[in-house]
Amino acid sequence: MVLQRSLKIGAAGLFMAAAAMQAAQAQAPGVTADTIKIGTFGALTGPGYLYGKLPMNGIDVVFDEINAQGGIHGRKLQLVREDDRCDPAAAIGAVKKLIHQDAVFAMIGGGCSNATFAARDTIDEAKIPLVVMASVHDGITTPTPPTIFSAATTSSIESQAQLEFAIAQGAKRIAVISMRDSWGRARYNPMIEAFKKKGIKPVADEELSPDANDATAQVLRLKMSNADAVLMVLYPKPAAVFVRDSQKLAFKPLFIGQTGIADPAAFEDQVASPGATANFRTISMVGMTPQDPAAEKWRKAIEAKFPGDRLSVYNLFGIGSAQVMAEALRRAGPEPTREKLVAALNGLKDFKVDVYPGPISCSETDHRCHKTPAWLAKEPGGPVKVLGATKVE
Amino acid sequence: MNLFGRRNVLLALFALAAIAPHFVNTYHLFVCNLILVYVLLSIGLNILVGYAGQLAFANAAMFGIGAYGTGLLQVHFGLPFWLAFPLGAVIATSVGLAISLPALRVSGLYLALSSLAFAQFTQWVFLHWEKVTFGAGGFKTPTVSFAPLPVSKPIGLYYLTLILAAVLFLLAQNLVRSRIGRAFVAVRDGEVAAESLGIDLLRYKALAFGLSGFYAGIAGGIYSAMLNFVSPEGYDLFQMVLQKAMVVVGGLGSVAGSVLGAGAIVALLEALREVKGIQEIAFGAILVVFILFMPGGLVGFLKRKVPGWEEPLHRKGAGSAPAPAAAPAPAAGEARP
Repeated sequence: MVLQRSLKIGAAGLFMAAAAMQAAQAQAPGVTADTIKIGTFGALTGPGYLYGKLPMNGIDVVFDEINAQGGIHGRKLQLVREDDRCDPAAAIGAVKKLIHQDAVFAMIGGGCSNATFAARDTIDEAKIPLVVMASVHDGITTPTPPTIFSAATTSSIESQAQLEFAIAQGAKRIAVISMRDSWGRARYNPMIEAFKKKGIKPVADEELSPDANDATAQVLRLKMSNADAVLMVLYPKPAAVFVRDSQKLAFKPLFIGQTGIADPAAFEDQVASPGATANFRTISMVGMTPQDPAAEKWRKAIEAKFPGDRLSVYNLFGIGSAQVMAEALRRAGPEPTREKLVAALNGLKDFKVDVYPGPISCSETDHRCHKTPAWLAKEPGGPVKVLGATKVE
Repeated sequence: MNLFGRRNVLLALFALAAIAPHFVNTYHLFVCNLILVYVLLSIGLNILVGYAGQLAFANAAMFGIGAYGTGLLQVHFGLPFWLAFPLGAVIATSVGLAISLPALRVSGLYLALSSLAFAQFTQWVFLHWEKVTFGAGGFKTPTVSFAPLPVSKPIGLYYLTLILAAVLFLLAQNLVRSRIGRAFVAVRDGEVAAESLGIDLLRYKALAFGLSGFYAGIAGGIYSAMLNFVSPEGYDLFQMVLQKAMVVVGGLGSVAGSVLGAGAIVALLEALREVKGIQEIAFGAILVVFILFMPGGLVGFLKRKVPGWEEPLHRKGAGSAPAPAAAPAPAAGEARP
């Protein structure tokens, strides 16, 4: 009798265990009954950490907020970070590790453009959904990849917006100063294309190296061209040198930057020459500044989770892309698969994310989901202000 | 024969590498392939620096020339990989031979500086000769096909790299045990003394640079096929530091050390992924430890602790060769080291 009962209990236990295993096997990679594993890659070290580590910190605080509210359909979100050192080979290695070793369900990532672009084939082959957080290379989303969606403004969108902003501000003689490294090229080439489309020729086209310590020659040539607006495709350091030298040589056009100089307050400090940034405007893929009262929630979250850090726009890049991913995961339903997630991302239309200036809209044929960059300005000594946004078609 | 001697350990590593695709995942296969690429690079650099004693910093540029050569021949001229790949290696070898000419006039730090200038010039060409190299944005290369063989690209490429690494390892090992290898060592130990022995400096320095360029060119061709992408970032000063580190960690003047050094550094870099954000510090610390406490590298340590790791500069049985008086006379104008 006891033996018979034990056998029955044992058989029931075995059946339940087998059923549980089958259920676990049926789930997509990276998804368990109570967790969803999301991978991220970008530079955690080196100068590119602004576009890697800081957005990742932003993703982390969004995940913490979602997890504190019970997760998505009852599952907590886990973030797995990988360093790509802004190197294409390291990015491919990082992505392969996330997919095949860590078995993540989907990814939010991509800091440096060339590294993300190099990893595109690996992501396409694995058919793993990726929401790009900061990389702007057009080749990442053009031609339209099957599973990669960009929550960052792409380089051609930003370059087009810079030109449209200059025209909207009444500029008649527009000049360009640019770096010609991979980052600079990714923006400079579409910018020249945008000029051609408008039938305008830049009155001057100057080059400045990323490690320049002097821009006197460039400023003098731009001054000779009588430019009233200068589109800057520069990192903060050479841009600071350029703006400082412009003030020194009494050259005062409208300076128009892009997301490389996404923090006007930090840029003013870097220029360190009172009044030099008075005519400086910069583009931003986020529609709020770290000092904005609307960013209070995120400022507190970043400072609580990463003591010593202060909220930066780069954190906001990660926060926005994480919100896009979270919404798609919600729409993918309680039994998410990668196919359902891709379908949900494709179906995002006019989705409002609090940190972005405009809505996120993706479609099956266009995965450049963020096309509304904002404009920031900072009066010397005053707060950073959002001037408005440019919707690029 | 010692069970843990050099030959047995390297054979075991080769056997392990040969069966690796059957039990590793795609990520680990990528890392294994990367190790083999760096084995090729380290062997070539060790011939130049460790054996011939030329303190040159152009290997990363050679690596890039091999990658760009292979990729651009496919993209611009539509050549298949199987033709572009050897041609890329030939281009890198030719450049290697060409840069050996300044090495005849300068040595030591001056050679280091001039080769560094060459490496920077190569970077500049990659970045600015846009019509040909596609500039800073890089370019995608066509996917290599192994048809009609029933293997996928990653596995096919892995075995191709393994075969090349094994063949070029044996070639290097035989070379350094030949009169050429002994001539390299003589040049390294003292150019004046080597010349006084009748060693033609031009010939042997050019050969060392050419061989180093050839190995780097082969590695570059495979690397471009592995990544399906070529851009200037991969061939910069950090790449050079990485290759030098492999040679130092493995052991200068040791072909087996090149294998161990490449394996150790690539594995270490991948393992340090777990130490988020401090890889560079940990990597630097490990290099300092090696330079301070193991200047002979891994091979130096093994030579001291494990029997059977010696790497003689002559073949087995050379000790029982006929007495010098009975040896055939060298050709006119050449003295054997």
